[in-house]
Amino acid sequence: MELSEYVQSGLQILADSGCFSPSAYTVLLQTAFQSLLNAQADQVALDHPVLKHIDPTVLKHCHAAVATCILEAGKHKADKSTISTYLEDCKFDRERIEQFCTEYQKNKDTLEIILGSIGRCPLHITDVSWRLEYQIKTNQLHKTYRPAYLVTLNVENSDSRSHPDVSFSCTMEQLQDLVGKLKDAAKSLERASQM
Amino acid sequence: MEEVDKILIHSLRLSGTGRPPAVAAPWHRVPAHLGALSDGGSPAPPRQVPEEVQSLREFTTELIVESVVRCLRVIHPSLGASLGHVLPPGMSARFRIGTSLAQACQELGYQGEVGYQTFLYSNEPEIRRLLLFLVEKLPRDDAEDARQPAGKSAGLLRAIAAKIKEQLGTPWVPPACRTPRLQLLQGTCLLKPFHAHPLVLPRDSGPVERREFFGGFLPPVSAQPPRPGAVAPSLLERHAGDLGAQHDWEADWQSQGLASRLPPKEYVQWKHQRLRHRLLDQLRQAAPPHGAAGPPQPGAPDLAQMLGLLSAGGTGGALAKGSRFSRAQRLAHEQDPQELVGQMQAAVETLPSSKTSEQEELVRQAEELAGLQGELRRLEAEMEAVGGEVKVLELSLSQAAAGLCQQQLALGGRERTLRVQRRALELLPEAGRNLAALQLLVEGSAQRLVHLAAQWETRRGPLVDQYRHLRAARHSRQLESTRRVAEIQALHECGRSAAAEARRKEELCRQLLTELEVLPKDVSRAAYTQRILEIVGNIRKQKEEITKILSDTRALQKEINGLTGKLDRTFAVTDELVFKDAKRDESVRKAYKYLAALHENCSQLIQTIEDAGAIQREIRDLEEQIESEGAKKTLANLERILSDYRALRQENAVLLGRSRDP
Repeated sequence: MELSEYVQSGLQILADSGCFSPSAYTVLLQTAFQSLLNAQADQVALDHPVLKHIDPTVLKHCHAAVATCILEAGKHKADKSTISTYLEDCKFDRERIEQFCTEYQKNKDTLEIILGSIGRCPLHITDVSWRLEYQIKTNQLHKTYRPAYLVTLNVENSDSRSHPDVSFSCTMEQLQDLVGKLKDAAKSLERASQM
Repeated sequence: MEEVDKILIHSLRLSGTGRPPAVAAPWHRVPAHLGALSDGGSPAPPRQVPEEVQSLREFTTELIVESVVRCLRVIHPSLGASLGHVLPPGMSARFRIGTSLAQACQELGYQGEVGYQTFLYSNEPEIRRLLLFLVEKLPRDDAEDARQPAGKSAGLLRAIAAKIKEQLGTPWVPPACRTPRLQLLQGTCLLKPFHAHPLVLPRDSGPVERREFFGGFLPPVSAQPPRPGAVAPSLLERHAGDLGAQHDWEADWQSQGLASRLPPKEYVQWKHQRLRHRLLDQLRQAAPPHGAAGPPQPGAPDLAQMLGLLSAGGTGGALAKGSRFSRAQRLAHEQDPQELVGQMQAAVETLPSSKTSEQEELVRQAEELAGLQGELRRLEAEMEAVGGEVKVLELSLSQAAAGLCQQQLALGGRERTLRVQRRALELLPEAGRNLAALQLLVEGSAQRLVHLAAQWETRRGPLVDQYRHLRAARHSRQLESTRRVAEIQALHECGRSAAAEARRKEELCRQLLTELEVLPKDVSRAAYTQRILEIVGNIRKQKEEITKILSDTRALQKEINGLTGKLDRTFAVTDELVFKDAKRDESVRKAYKYLAALHENCSQLIQTIEDAGAIQREIRDLEEQIESEGAKKTLANLERILSDYRALRQENAVLLGRSRDP
């Protein structure tokens, strides 16, 4: 974990008890967490009465710095000792570090969920249905007599069927191959978890 | 010996030397690098060694060679690198390996007798001694040090394994019943792609207007992105960008900035200027070479503007650099209005004509175009002609000016001679007096000249000295500053490395702590100490017993001695008494004879018992010797030597045949 100069300067201002009184610190900290975690509260209340007498530029600077610091800590899955080290570097006193850490612990799960939800991943298969098809002849071949499997993988769709189900047809060998590969994958997972 | 063997085999296992089946159990405890090392040579050779290798007696030749080679590799990589741990099939190659192993052991400082026979035709005590020596030599601390690099990845792998296990353990839950965490794990609907928006970060510096904007109008960062979900990505990206710029700047400053000996701000300005010059040069070179006197390029004002903007932005700080993209964008935006104007003019021109039919319009346009082109050509020709005229005129003008200059110079010279001649004419009437006065004047001026020269010298001397002094001072200061710069760079380097080291150590400490927590509390250390204590206790007990037996023996000896003495004395007394009486009495004489016989027989008996004891001792000695000889597997070894000898001969014969064949 590393913090940029901008963030460090913001945190240093925040650590200054002459600039931020304990109550103002608490309010700003909570506001920063709220602004990150509550997607609905887009109008952040930096106009709390306790924060009235602080220069708005400084206030916004500190807010941005704290928010970045929280996000970085969540990104690196920093534990308490790491966070304290970084905050100590920014001249935080023990009390404020403690406060930051408790607040961080309280919101850690939500933060992880929010950070974890950034990105994309392959579709989740929830079910599979299949049927056996037997080809007797085609217009090119008089007799083929070949079985084929029609497989449909049901994909998890919560938002208005944006992903259609995956369906394909395959021969017996291909299906066996697929099943074998799936088994291999499952076994690999098992093995990986045995480390 | 069993204890010793157990400890020996255990340490061999720990160092990764040895028997795969035996290693299988404590595999995960083996330090990863050693495990890798043991795998390095061959892909886990599956030896047919029974699992219960408990003592050195069960070691086969392959096993011995492998153990020794791997020990050597761990102790001294360069020594062991050239040795293969798999015994080759050819006999001569085997002997070579045996010999080189023996040599390597001797190089390590093994005192005992060692040769190829030690490995190929092993006997237990020798091998034990050798392996003990090698195990003693195994680097202990190294094992812990080398753990560090492996520890990180091992920790990561363990964390991954734990996570996978946890996820495998959680049952599948239908989408409707999931908690957010489960939804993230098993579903996709919470996932949002990474969308970052540029953020404006307020800071307490810069011009007043900007600060006013920051204070009054700029929303806080979390309200800046249009979508609420984009706050985290935007902040993360911005932070990563800032960090990257910071690192770039630091690297730049370390490598070039310090060497330029400018304060950071000036360095940035200097850099911008250089960049600007280079940019200008590039643009000049890239621009198509039009006539030098031609009309200004359509891009030129943009260029000027752009460069102006660039230089204005250049003072903004270190972070304002490196936005080639924005520059290009700006360039594009600057060109846009012109293009727009051009398009609009074209539209205005075409507007009235749109009422007539197309063909007419086309014809008219073609005519117009031809007319205009003709006019253009005419005008160009005219311009060229006029330009030629102007050039000729300019040439003649400059010639005239040069002539004028010359004339004026000549005039000045003539005026000067005129003045001198007029003066001489004025002075002519009283020539003698005037001559004297003139001479006086000349002398005075010469003297004044000398005086001035002296004065100049007096002034010049100290000034030159001062100049030299200052130059030397400057030189020394420059040297000093170079030295300081080097020092600063070294300090920076030192600080950075120290910080990195500290971070690494902290991480290591944390990791080791977690590992310590994970480790079972009843470490084998306690068991070992206990066992050692037990052994020590046993030894003490045995020692006590031995001393007891020794004292018993001594007491017995004493007793025997006492008894012998007593017997001798008693016999002498009895002998004397009986001998005295024997002269008088016949029966007593008989008794004396019996006594003598008794004595002799008894001493014979004692002698025999003693002999039997000695023989028994000898027998025991011999038995021991037989046992030790048997342990050396002499017969088997001899047989093996014989078979090896035969194999060797065969090989030689084959080689001989092959060499003769062609």
